[in-house]
Amino acid sequence: MKKRGIGIGSIFYGTGYGNGFPDVSKAVAQLKSDGKIAIYVGATEVGQGAKTALSQIAAEVLGLSVDDIVFINEDTSITPDSGTAAASRQTYNTGNAIKLACEKLKRDILEVAKDYLGLNSIVGLTLKNGYVYPKTLPEKRVSLGEISESLESSLKEEAVFTAQTTEMDEETGQGAPYWPYTFSACGVEVEVDTETGRVEIIRAVLAQDVGRAINPELIEGQIDGGFAMGAGYALYEDLKIEKGKIKNNSFTNYLIPTSLDMPDIEKVIIEDPESTAPYGAKGIGEPVMIPVAPAILNAIYDAVGVRMTEIPVTPEKLLKAIKEKEMTYNEGKN
Amino acid sequence: MRLNSIGKKIIRVDGLSKVKGKALYPQDIYMEGMLYGKTLRSSRPHAYINIDTSRAEKIDGVVKVFTYKDVPGKNCHGVLFKDHEVFCSERVRRVGDPIAFVVATNKKAVEEAIEVIDVNYEDIEAVFDPLEAMKEESVKIHGNSNIIYHYKLRKGDVEEAFKRCHVIVESEYKTPMVEHAFLQPEAGIAYTEDDGTIVVCASTQYPHFDQIEVAEALEVNKDKVKIINPAVGGAFGGREDITLQIHLAIAAKVTGRPVKAVYSREESFLAHSKRHSMIMRYKTGCNKDGKLLAMEAEIIGDTGAYASWAINVLRKAGVHATGPYEIPNVKVDSYAVYTNNPFAGAMRGFGATQVPIAHEQQMDMLSEKLNMDPVTFRLKNIFKKGSKTATGQVLEESVPIDRCIKEVADRIGITPLSERGGVV
Repeated sequence: MKKRGIGIGSIFYGTGYGNGFPDVSKAVAQLKSDGKIAIYVGATEVGQGAKTALSQIAAEVLGLSVDDIVFINEDTSITPDSGTAAASRQTYNTGNAIKLACEKLKRDILEVAKDYLGLNSIVGLTLKNGYVYPKTLPEKRVSLGEISESLESSLKEEAVFTAQTTEMDEETGQGAPYWPYTFSACGVEVEVDTETGRVEIIRAVLAQDVGRAINPELIEGQIDGGFAMGAGYALYEDLKIEKGKIKNNSFTNYLIPTSLDMPDIEKVIIEDPESTAPYGAKGIGEPVMIPVAPAILNAIYDAVGVRMTEIPVTPEKLLKAIKEKEMTYNEGKN
Repeated sequence: MRLNSIGKKIIRVDGLSKVKGKALYPQDIYMEGMLYGKTLRSSRPHAYINIDTSRAEKIDGVVKVFTYKDVPGKNCHGVLFKDHEVFCSERVRRVGDPIAFVVATNKKAVEEAIEVIDVNYEDIEAVFDPLEAMKEESVKIHGNSNIIYHYKLRKGDVEEAFKRCHVIVESEYKTPMVEHAFLQPEAGIAYTEDDGTIVVCASTQYPHFDQIEVAEALEVNKDKVKIINPAVGGAFGGREDITLQIHLAIAAKVTGRPVKAVYSREESFLAHSKRHSMIMRYKTGCNKDGKLLAMEAEIIGDTGAYASWAINVLRKAGVHATGPYEIPNVKVDSYAVYTNNPFAGAMRGFGATQVPIAHEQQMDMLSEKLNMDPVTFRLKNIFKKGSKTATGQVLEESVPIDRCIKEVADRIGITPLSERGGVV
């Protein structure tokens, strides 16, 4: 028989290194001779979209499009240390460092433009689409390329951002270990085949707090990927470690979800900007996957009334649990 | 605030090169005169070893077989404790520990040489169950105790609070070690620049930390090491710990030629960390209105043969053990334990992924006992602006968990349990 059930899971997640460990990101912003802006950071693009999201932060500060940002993050000899691409920290930490560096660079640019245009003050100067001009007189303008050419050495600024985190008390664990926290919830509907023990995910919703979305499409991509990883964790992934040896050591027998196992996920982006974050944006790379597995487990219970306390819930395990429950039920009847 | 770039669905700047197959991964890099490297790994979980590489070195095409004797600087690395050896010197502690690195002019010679390295294993008693490993009499993996960390969280008085609870649920949960399964297995190439700088080009999550660890193993100033991080095919925490970077750097420095290595999928499974498996014993109670009053949890995390990020992971598990709920009385003890299993480290969620397997089922069990639907129950207890977490941290802004839950409940269509007459 096929039985359906619905379940939800909700979580919070502290981003950053935590517990007082110095969480530092550095960034360099430089005006290039062609008027484009180079950003140098040690933040790795691991597929999460760091190059794009962090470029958007630089573009926003400097009134440019992402095409005018040259993002360099591949070489330790020319980039500053921006910490690891982990702990969902790059958007918040390195994003803040880039924002600070670009704000400093913007001020430098305006100062040069003021002299170039023969103005008395930088007040009311606008930097937009590669030009600087008084907002009340847009015709009087100078391009970033012209500014760069007028200088003997290029304008360059570095900024450092250090997140706030405190060490917890050793005896009581009291303290403020992480900041910011990100929140999310997931809901799924599953169909359990009570004869085979197979669980199919029919529908899914995931609502993710992001502070503010830098790039909604990248967030949606993270949700899809996170859901797949969470579903694999709940239902499939088993290394079969026997006496320290991994038996399932390739994708022949270590099963991860394929696109055929994935439902269409309804993705809800919840915005509630965080004041210490760059434009309010919080890290979401990890939290997107966390509520998925518990939602599936709760849905399985809703469908067939068995509590699966050990994952992955393979068909064998679930079938056994269903049989045991039926036996207990029948014994109760007799 | 009017924003021009923030909030826009801008196409990934690295997208086109990736979909067209033009993005350069370390696998794609070939250099003139380069050598091929391959790692010999332990086949035993716990043993003393003796290595004889003489037969392997005689194979045509083999340039050198590197072992612990060939590490110029520190023969160790690790993100927190330096408990990994670059090459095992006397003892292996898990299946997959690196013992030697063969470098040859062609792949065939590399494969042949790996086969004829003689490793004499003298097995030591091994421990695979973290509960066994915690016992005083257990065989020790490193030092005097297998318990490397104990996080204690204490808030209020749980014993007294449980007495006031109308409903209490208790259960034990188990989560396994799992694999990051990133698309691109580890690969890298290392070479020397004219000024003596060692360049390691490899997929990593944290190039500036790799730079320090490579420099320490080579015993050179870190300015003489350059890490180039080309396209990375996923990481999820599995590229936090060093895998092939130091092996390649030593080989390139000693041979004076570029050296490349590409792991197979099977070797990738062996080489990098896993998610910590956890045993989580939970007791949670609430009053008859559904307000959570107390929670007690004991969490045991198996970090396998090496510490990696175990301390931080079990700390994070402990801090997040309550879930996003205000509970006035909390007692959590989390432990990180060495065993002879594959080593565990960073993986997406970092300890906070395991605990919801427990706390979210506890929430549903409590709500069912109260005959309350799981959404109503959660909304009664979740963090709000101004709430304090179990560690006493004030959540003073950006706490929209209520909106997350409501959106999900509304869209997935949670019918209150009462209307369904309870669960099957």
